[in-house]
Amino acid sequence: MYWVVPVPDDGLTFSPDSSTATLAMKNVPIVDQPKWPSVDAISTPAFLDYKLVMHQGGEPEMYEDASRWYRFTGFKATAQLEAVVRVPSIGFEFKTDALETSKAGFAVMGEEVNGKYYG
Amino acid sequence: MRRFDVPRRECLKIAAMTALGSLLPARVLSGKNPTCAPPITNGVPANGGQCPYPIPWLDKNGNHNQMPKANVELNHIFHFKGKLARCAGFKGMGTDNHGNRLAWGTGTTDFSYMAGEYWAARKAQQGVYAHI
Repeated sequence: MYWVVPVPDDGLTFSPDSSTATLAMKNVPIVDQPKWPSVDAISTPAFLDYKLVMHQGGEPEMYEDASRWYRFTGFKATAQLEAVVRVPSIGFEFKTDALETSKAGFAVMGEEVNGKYYG
Repeated sequence: MRRFDVPRRECLKIAAMTALGSLLPARVLSGKNPTCAPPITNGVPANGGQCPYPIPWLDKNGNHNQMPKANVELNHIFHFKGKLARCAGFKGMGTDNHGNRLAWGTGTTDFSYMAGEYWAARKAQQGVYAHI
């Protein structure tokens, strides 16, 4: 998946110590386009529900490139996801197993400044 | 896990692997306000829209994405300060509505959130966005 969508007010929550973030989104309108980026890739309206839970670890990370005006400071993290994808026009639905059964190969949590805020 | 003939398996593979791997949001960088596109002004300065601005050097193909890893720009919004998290390389299993058990996730299955302040329309804006 490639782009960015706005999150509802209650979509992103943090634990009291901010070490755990939960992002829950419902009925995100998306396009199923399996053959992208082919120029003749057919797109089909679809919807996505997902819950992403990230836990901040204790290993610090900082990525900075002054030539590109960004600095990320944070920590390595773990991430797990559960989701449901619906493609109504073809009657397809796919539901992942429970959150606890998934894992991500890369995850970081932290803060970033870039562009005009970089300095 | 059940096995299928080639066309069926191909269809299911495409469906499952891309269901969480190549779904494109219908609204891109559209902001909370659906009218965040630049307004047509009449006699007053035109300051652009309130939509977040994408990372300039990642926009060459209309694709605001690059694989998250150490020492790359993880954000999708330029002129941003705030909380950011990014993750990728998910692996898991799931079930379709026909009861077929399918693997999901690839190295490019990545998600993120960006919560904070960004600069657009010549002023600071507040927003929470997700990259899917």
